[in-house]
Amino acid sequence: MHMPNPGLTEFDYVKPTSLAEASRLLAEHSDEACPFMGGTDAFVRIRDGFISPQTMVDVKHLPGMRDILYDERTGLMIGAAATMNVVARHPEIQDHYTLLAEAANSVASYQVRNRATIGGNLCNGSPAADTAPATLVLGGRMVLYGPDGEREVPAEAFFLGPGKTAVQAGELMTAIRFPVPPAGSGGKYLKLGRNKIGDLSIVGVAIFGFPDGAAPSGYRFRVALASVAPVPLRALAAEDVLAANSPGEETFTLAAEKAAEAATPIDDVRASAAYRKSMVRNLTLRGLRDVWGQLQNT
Amino acid sequence: MAIHSITVTVNGLKEHLDVPSNMTLLQMLREKLVLTGTKNGCMAGECGACTVLMNGEPTNSCMVLAVEADGAEVITVEGLAHDDQLNPLQEAFAEHNAVQCGFCTSGMLISAHALLERNPHPTEEEVKEAMVGNLCRCTGYLRIIQAVETAAKKGGA
Amino acid sequence: MPHGDISSTPTSEPVGKSVRRVDVYEKVTGAAIFTDDIQFGPGLYHGRLIRSTHAHAHIVRIDVSPALEVPGVKAVVTGRDVSTRIGMYLIDRPIFAGERVRYFGEPIGAVIATSEEIAEKAARLVEVEYDDLPAVFGPMEALQPDAPLLHPDLGEYRVANFIFPQPGTNVSEHFKLRKGDVESAWPKCAAIVEGTFYLPQIQHVPLEPHVSVALWEKSGQVTLWTSTQSPHAQRDLIAQSLDIPHGNLRVVSPYVGGGFGGKAGVTMEACAVVMARAVKGHPVKLRMTREEEFVGTTMRQSLVAHTKIGCDTEGNLLAMETEYYFGGGAYNDYGVNIARAAGYSCTGPYSIPNVKGDSRSVYTNLPIGGPMRGFGMPEIHWGIEQIMDQLAEKIELDPAEFRRRNCVKTDDTILTGMKMPAIDLVACIDKVAEAIGLGEKEAPSAPHKRRGKGIAIMWKAPAMPPNPGSSAVVRFNEDATLNVEIGAQELGQGSFTIAAQVAAEALGVPYEWVRVVTPVDTKYSPYEWQTVASRITWAMGNAVKAAAEDARRQILEIVADHWDEDIDDLDIKDGQVISYKSEREQPLKNMVIYGLPNENFEGWKGGPIIGRGKFMPTYVTNLDFETGQGPRAVVHYTVGAQAVDLEVDTETGQIEVLKIASAYDVGKAINPDLVLAQIEGGAVHGMSSAFEALRFDEAGRPLNRSLVDYRIVTSVDVPKEIHGDFVETPLEDGPWGARGVGEHVMVQTAPAIANAINNALGIRFTDLPLSAEKIFLALEKHD
Repeated sequence: MHMPNPGLTEFDYVKPTSLAEASRLLAEHSDEACPFMGGTDAFVRIRDGFISPQTMVDVKHLPGMRDILYDERTGLMIGAAATMNVVARHPEIQDHYTLLAEAANSVASYQVRNRATIGGNLCNGSPAADTAPATLVLGGRMVLYGPDGEREVPAEAFFLGPGKTAVQAGELMTAIRFPVPPAGSGGKYLKLGRNKIGDLSIVGVAIFGFPDGAAPSGYRFRVALASVAPVPLRALAAEDVLAANSPGEETFTLAAEKAAEAATPIDDVRASAAYRKSMVRNLTLRGLRDVWGQLQNT
Repeated sequence: MAIHSITVTVNGLKEHLDVPSNMTLLQMLREKLVLTGTKNGCMAGECGACTVLMNGEPTNSCMVLAVEADGAEVITVEGLAHDDQLNPLQEAFAEHNAVQCGFCTSGMLISAHALLERNPHPTEEEVKEAMVGNLCRCTGYLRIIQAVETAAKKGGA
Repeated sequence: MPHGDISSTPTSEPVGKSVRRVDVYEKVTGAAIFTDDIQFGPGLYHGRLIRSTHAHAHIVRIDVSPALEVPGVKAVVTGRDVSTRIGMYLIDRPIFAGERVRYFGEPIGAVIATSEEIAEKAARLVEVEYDDLPAVFGPMEALQPDAPLLHPDLGEYRVANFIFPQPGTNVSEHFKLRKGDVESAWPKCAAIVEGTFYLPQIQHVPLEPHVSVALWEKSGQVTLWTSTQSPHAQRDLIAQSLDIPHGNLRVVSPYVGGGFGGKAGVTMEACAVVMARAVKGHPVKLRMTREEEFVGTTMRQSLVAHTKIGCDTEGNLLAMETEYYFGGGAYNDYGVNIARAAGYSCTGPYSIPNVKGDSRSVYTNLPIGGPMRGFGMPEIHWGIEQIMDQLAEKIELDPAEFRRRNCVKTDDTILTGMKMPAIDLVACIDKVAEAIGLGEKEAPSAPHKRRGKGIAIMWKAPAMPPNPGSSAVVRFNEDATLNVEIGAQELGQGSFTIAAQVAAEALGVPYEWVRVVTPVDTKYSPYEWQTVASRITWAMGNAVKAAAEDARRQILEIVADHWDEDIDDLDIKDGQVISYKSEREQPLKNMVIYGLPNENFEGWKGGPIIGRGKFMPTYVTNLDFETGQGPRAVVHYTVGAQAVDLEVDTETGQIEVLKIASAYDVGKAINPDLVLAQIEGGAVHGMSSAFEALRFDEAGRPLNRSLVDYRIVTSVDVPKEIHGDFVETPLEDGPWGARGVGEHVMVQTAPAIANAINNALGIRFTDLPLSAEKIFLALEKHD
């Protein structure tokens, strides 16, 4: 258990000019090459000795990586290298994917958000990733580019374990696609940290709701949790309760209990499992009340 | 390890430098250009003492590789005052006694400057949120926030 | 504009005025030089420490040869090269661990190389073999009869004559206070409360990490550039430890980016000097990373406190029995004095006729416990201010009223037998009680929140050896601008500004004419014991005042002679000598260097004016070892009160502090706005200290040794309002009556918060930190 390095260890910085070149570099040096986005997680891990890349492959500038495109028929595509600030203040994201803007805006500080990218946040595979719950409830699909070309992975299949995602050797995330949100939808991201803002999440809860005639309650809610399981996850049992029972305090309370049951947190230096479970319950309840208020106003 | 030849504009001056891959922008500013106003407080993007403007955006220079600054415009605290006159923010910091040990001050000024550029009339809450990435242990923050509000009223950044 | 700019409007008689700081221009332009900013040229080497990865172990083998092979490495030193110890009050700490390590992260050696990167790479190649020893991580554990002995040679360590370690145990200091007879007092009490209080180690988190550059020249001259509160004390301790004549060791310290006690005494600086000795002629820079701050510098000690207090039917305190067990960490060289200070102030700011106090510092296999803002007072007030609240509640007295009745007052005989110097704590209580609306129940901002208010008072004396000296020199320039030379350090608290104000006022020149000579440099700067203990405004202030008055007297003597007038009719105002009798004027310009010509230029009188002054308290006495009694335990006390208004979110346990009101008796506010700035900064620091904690695993390894997981208050967490105020009851021997306040402002914030939480929830938290989790889980159990 060494103390961290005073600086960054040695590596070669390379800046490929095409996705194909980037993919090739990552595949060839898969053990010791790291796709380099904002660096806000990577640098800390390098100093801590968790990773020791020999090559940092800068992919931020590659075609499309910083683009944000919205089409009211096909939905949203966010380049993986879009920074949190860019995502948070993008007018189309603020209007149509408010929950995602909220989540991006909750990361660390303004300075960090000028570097941290949505792709980096998702690809680190941390269960605490702030943009992960929003991506799950909004139906995000990760676009990956690799030696065999492009493929899409839905968010539910993307997170495999702490620090592990569906990204294979030689692949990099180029974009995240979001479908057009259902009419009349509303969403909220609640994050609990040790400071009022600016901290990692001890617990993160994303709630997304929309009218759906096919649901017995007339509404569908999606609930996703961060920092309370090996991966960010949807609380499906809670979602079932919300689909089956009319919205209101009683339903929300039951759903919040179900969400807490879906959480399998650990004790760590940031919080205990017991506290995290209770916070899932309480934050889910708050989030449901808030989103329900939004749905009633639209 | 690779060495990169870069051209970066710092405080309005074009600099041609050779930097190793793993050198941070912070190290480049302090060691290659001897611009020591930007401070090293944590090397982890947490304290904000190293905040500079990079292409107009406040950025923790400890979280940027020097090679990434190729072609960029960087402003440090040394670039804020014009002709030895303090800018309205600096003057407000002095007036409000928002400075004690001074180690966080450079980063605070850069973050505040950027805030006022993008939001000339921030609310108290907006000022606090904009500064959350700049830690201070001496002042308790209130005077810093007041100084930013004063500078905003005077229409300055 | 910069201080002293010729276009600035001069300020006469600046004492009592909120003049602009002398250092603010440099600091807002990024021009202020801190130690890591000093340029040393291409010959600079860099060092990295090799740190222990075990909390308590024998070092069986060190093999540095792999490190020496690394290109760019110039030398490697280990504890085998230097077996000397260093220390402030108890010389117990090896500069580099020799045969055993006593905490995770203890330096066992160092690599010196051409770059920090190479030094680190090489340091990681050094092979070390440890043989684990059983370890203890808390004071109670370390006191068990079968506990491992961390310092078997405790009896051989040199120790100050007022510190009493117990060889054969892990107790490094035991202070006893016996006043009156507690046993006979308990039966007379109408109400008695007992409690145990705990707080963990926390760290100062100065924004500027520790850094030193040392140069050991072949001639034997040694220079140490370092961020320190104590240039002269460092010179003294390092000179003695390494057998360097004092005159050959020079300590230079530029601006300090936050000290808070963490840069007092000697921390890692001695390592840099030993490293420099291995590469004579080359300066060596040693910087702490932020992570090393949490492991390898000093921490505030942990404390377990058992306290029992009792009062009569009117609520007058009759007795206190208290035991303090400080978790001192692996080395207690400075920490022993904290236990002592806690001992002789163990009642808190209360008049209690019968007191039995035992205060101990105990070795543990954790980071070194040392001075942190408050020096034992925040640690003990955590329990004292809560138990007082509990007793007030039991006897059904309002908490402010209980304190008004029982707090120390001028001329009270306090626990050590000395008379309380003049202060007005009741006025402070009144001010904060009113500012917060104590006693007025106010509604919370939402149904799931609960609101509460709490109050806490404090006292603290500068904790020093009996003879800490300050000295100062004032030296004119031809244009009558003035250089003030001091050994006190500018940590941000404003000491340089105070020095300038005092000099200007005492001499009679405008504030803008005064230059404080920086950086503090033991080669040129007059002696100052340390910039600690909130003593500088008082002690340095007195020395500067004396030096300025010395210069003033010399000038007036020359001019009186020149004018053939009585010196008592003369004065210096706004940089001119004036006569109240003849109304003649003589500008100081030129005459303060060149003197004045006699009539018809038949000779000259005067010459370069240099004023000198010193201050050292002469009246502090030792205390009886068995009873802690003595005529004069301390120089003086500063007192104050704080009240807190807060809300608790019952759904998350999070606290929102709405308002902190503080009032301190500072004697005289030489710069009122700087006093208020200290009060505000202290309130926030105090608030943060209620939520901070260093955490360790079962092997004594740090769990939150970075800002990611050691959280401090940010701009968004600050209370909406901080209401600062002060009272001025002059200190008898203070410059214009001034007393220090830099530490006091954070001493009682944590218990004030705890008292407010108790007011809101009816739950008392006896253990820090007050995390949201702890509060939430307690609420769940309670309801």
